Amino acid sequence: MITKVLAKCSHVRGHNPERRRKERSERDGESLDRQQKDPDRDDIREKEKHRDREGRKHRDPEKDRHQDNRTQEDREHRYKEKRRERENRHREEVKEREGKKHNRGEKERERDREKDVEMKRTERDRERRSERDKKNEEKAEVKDLGVRVRDKEREREERRERHKGRENDHKPHKYEEKHRDVERKERHRDKEHKEREYRRDREDKEMRRSDKESSEADRNSSQEAGIKDGDREKAIEREERHRRRDKRHRETSESKRHDSERKHKESSGHEQNERTIRDKEVENYKTEEDKQSSKDYHNDYEEDFEDYEEDFEDVDDEEEEKRIIHDDTVKEDTELSPRRREDIEAIQRAMDEENERIYSARSKPTITESSVTERESLFNRVPKHGKMIDFVSAKQREVSLKVAKKQKKRSEELLRLIDLDFSITFSLLDLPPVNEYDMYIKNFGTANTKQAYVQCNEDNTDRDIQTEEVDMTDKWTQHPPESKAACGGSEVSQETDESTARMTFDSQRLTTFLRSATQVMAVLIEENNAESNSLRRLRSQTDAFSFSDGCLQLNTRLPFLHGRQVSLLQFSQVQRQTLLSVHPPASKTSAVRMDNETIICVWNMWEPSRPQKILLNESEVKCCCFSPGKATLVFAGTAVGSVGVWDLREHSGTHYNLVVGTEEWTLRYPTFSTDCVLSGMGHLSPVVSVEPVLATAETSLKSLITADIEESLGMSFQLASLDESGLLTLWVVVELPKGNDSGSQTDLGLRPGGKVKLLHSSSIQTTERLSQDIMTCGPPASLQLKFLPCDSSHYFIGTNMGLVRHGTRHRMKVFPKYYRSQFDSCRPVEVTTLDFSPSGEPLFLVGCSDGTLRLHSVLKDDPLMEWTCSGGSPILSVQWSQTRPAVFFVLDAASDLHIWDLTENDYVPVITKNIHNDRVSVMAVFGEPAKQNTFSGVALAKQSGTVEIQYFTRSLTVPNDSDKEKLNSVWQDLF
Amino acid sequence: METSASSYLIRPNYKHKFKAGVAKEYMREILREELSGVLYNPEETPTLSRSLADSIKNKLKDVGFERYKLIVQVVIGEQRGEGVKMAARCFWDADTDSYAQEMYMNDSLFCVAAAFGVYFY
Repeated sequence: MITKVLAKCSHVRGHNPERRRKERSERDGESLDRQQKDPDRDDIREKEKHRDREGRKHRDPEKDRHQDNRTQEDREHRYKEKRRERENRHREEVKEREGKKHNRGEKERERDREKDVEMKRTERDRERRSERDKKNEEKAEVKDLGVRVRDKEREREERRERHKGRENDHKPHKYEEKHRDVERKERHRDKEHKEREYRRDREDKEMRRSDKESSEADRNSSQEAGIKDGDREKAIEREERHRRRDKRHRETSESKRHDSERKHKESSGHEQNERTIRDKEVENYKTEEDKQSSKDYHNDYEEDFEDYEEDFEDVDDEEEEKRIIHDDTVKEDTELSPRRREDIEAIQRAMDEENERIYSARSKPTITESSVTERESLFNRVPKHGKMIDFVSAKQREVSLKVAKKQKKRSEELLRLIDLDFSITFSLLDLPPVNEYDMYIKNFGTANTKQAYVQCNEDNTDRDIQTEEVDMTDKWTQHPPESKAACGGSEVSQETDESTARMTFDSQRLTTFLRSATQVMAVLIEENNAESNSLRRLRSQTDAFSFSDGCLQLNTRLPFLHGRQVSLLQFSQVQRQTLLSVHPPASKTSAVRMDNETIICVWNMWEPSRPQKILLNESEVKCCCFSPGKATLVFAGTAVGSVGVWDLREHSGTHYNLVVGTEEWTLRYPTFSTDCVLSGMGHLSPVVSVEPVLATAETSLKSLITADIEESLGMSFQLASLDESGLLTLWVVVELPKGNDSGSQTDLGLRPGGKVKLLHSSSIQTTERLSQDIMTCGPPASLQLKFLPCDSSHYFIGTNMGLVRHGTRHRMKVFPKYYRSQFDSCRPVEVTTLDFSPSGEPLFLVGCSDGTLRLHSVLKDDPLMEWTCSGGSPILSVQWSQTRPAVFFVLDAASDLHIWDLTENDYVPVITKNIHNDRVSVMAVFGEPAKQNTFSGVALAKQSGTVEIQYFTRSLTVPNDSDKEKLNSVWQDLF
Repeated sequence: METSASSYLIRPNYKHKFKAGVAKEYMREILREELSGVLYNPEETPTLSRSLADSIKNKLKDVGFERYKLIVQVVIGEQRGEGVKMAARCFWDADTDSYAQEMYMNDSLFCVAAAFGVYFY
């Protein structure tokens, strides 16, 4: 099949000379005419060329030298400016081309030589025709395949040059030899066979060809001439390469030729093929050359260039050209003898050559133009009509060249100044691919959906913080509290004031409460103790007293009371359970510090175990009394004529504390003493009696109560003191609002820190009118002082003359002046005791040292009754019962206690009790009148120093109507 | 030969320098005006892109980038979810030459316009 097709193709080619001529004439149109017009000129040109080439041949060595020079120049000018380089190159190219022309001379000669050889080859060529066609096919394939770089043309040209040189030297010989050998062997065998086949094929094909000829011709023409100029050039290059490859192939295959004929066929076929290709090229180049020759007149450069193109083509190709022509002719005259054929071939070849030249001259312009455009765009203005000398275009070209040069220079200069660099890659758009789901959602996601509104009110939340404001106030505290406030705050508000007030009030109440409560508690404890201990013993003792309902003993067995007797007992008029006991110093002095001092003990009757207060005084105490109200003050008159005051409310810390064993005793010295008062105002003789004087002149019990109130509030009352000389001094008891711890400079008798003092009010000499009567019986002495309970301005003084003087503080006349005994007016008898009836009747009892007892009325100087009892022993004390008005008690020096009850007996005491085992020296009666649970008793101080308290029986205590009646009857007896 | 090296204007006046921000604004305006609401139509796109490029170029010419050669490239493509990446790289004098680029997109198409200003010395 392949051979068939190839044969057909080759057949077509076989007609080529004629056909091509026709085609070209068609293609070139006018140029054909032109060629025909100027055959002479062509001839001349040909000759000239030939001559040129010969001339150049002699200059070969020059050319070599020139080439050397060129390389040197290259080296020298490599670093020169581009412009000059380019110019150089340009020049060199021209030179090169000129140099190549020398080769052409050689080629011409070789061509001549080959012509001789050609004759021999014709036979072989005929054989190869078929193969050549095959090659043509291949060549077409190669054309398609070959996509090669174009821009290194010059390099390749050089290479081509070199090859050509080589080919010129060696190839022809080898070729000839080779072919000759092969042909000799093969000719007989293959030739006939192939030729036969060929012929047969050709006959068949000619039938068909006649039909297809026109189309095929078209196709061929289009293949050959219709190819673009650039393509054709490419083809040329490719062929060049191909040819070279083939050559190599041929050389190698030469050695193997004997072994394989088929290989040889192929290789020779290749050869043939190549040659046809070369033929075509040659044709082209020839035309170019011809054409160029016409151009030579106006463009040397172009001519040179064209010559150069020409050079490397026509060396090998000419013989092949001829071969092809031979082939064509041979095909037709296969039967002719070789010799004949050779002749014909020679003629034909000559003709073809001529023709070829003409054709190539015609077809050239297009190729030239294309190649030129490839290299230099400036040469655009190549005239289409080779015949006309186009000065305008040449001018234009020159102008454009100049412009180009100018631009080039400009660019060169600028490029020196400017740095061009590659920018970073700007990212103009970066659109990431959307995944399928997103795309779907974008397109259809919202389809068939509906917004459903949901309101959950989540954002409508409230947040609150509720905190109580912290109340803040500033407070201060101080302990111990100053003035009334122990604490307070900066904030002045009623609330705080109230609180402080309440607090101070509370503290005051608390102290008072505690003071009383401690007493109560102490008493209760004392009673319990007394119940368990002493009552048993007392009972046994009290069995002796018929009048006694019970008895208790004050604990006088205290270390500092040791060895002392009791000189005086005194009950308070208001607080009836409070008792004073005066203990004068013992006769025999001891080493104890307080031995020469008088001790006064304040007792609570219900708390007999120990005295509540212990009072000391340096001088002997003759008399003492309580303040009229509460028993807070104790007054005492001394043997040295001073009056002392003790304030029982003073704190124990300010006094001397005596520690005896486990018990601590507070020893109090007088708060105020009149010792330091100016002598003119004080007593010069021993004070025998002190009595409180109530300021009010009221006579009832109410006065006592009011006095009590007054005392507690402001407490102003007077104190009367009477000394032996009869001087009655009235003192005002003043309580200071605040004590001075550092002592007072004006009040020298005031103890540091003391609050109570006595101010001298007035002094009354009660004895002035004791005239001649008294003178006889020694100096008058006042022994007892009593004030009328109902009118305190009236005083009654017992004297040592058995008389009781009566007077007023205001020196008014009173009646009677004296109260005297019933029997004799005046005798030296001491009035030892004087006591007013507590029931309010103006009656008083007087006890005398001669043992007589008188009952006086205030209104009459004679006694209502007068008794002499107990055998004349001096009466120590007479006291009315506090509860029964008609009962009084008498104690005489014989230690006999007589109890008188006037309702029962006016003449003798109802009970006389003689206490023998321990003589009673002092007696004091106590009792609570006008109370439901009345009690009464007597305190008996004995010689041993003990104090015994006897409670009277109920008969002696509870008053009855007969008492009043009896007193009233006695009172009535007076009138 | 006639001109000496000193007479070349190597740098543009600052006033006439190609400012990418200014150019971008103009391009944005044009793209918005021309393309808002336009649906992608493969037949009209070539003419559209050409007209856009021309209008941008004319607009920029009026701005007064003196001695600048302007090259405007407009690419319009359909939005189909495919990823597209465009980049440009230039061999130029970075001191004088610059480019501005603006993009417009709607649901059916995207359009990228790039204007390169190359200083002509």
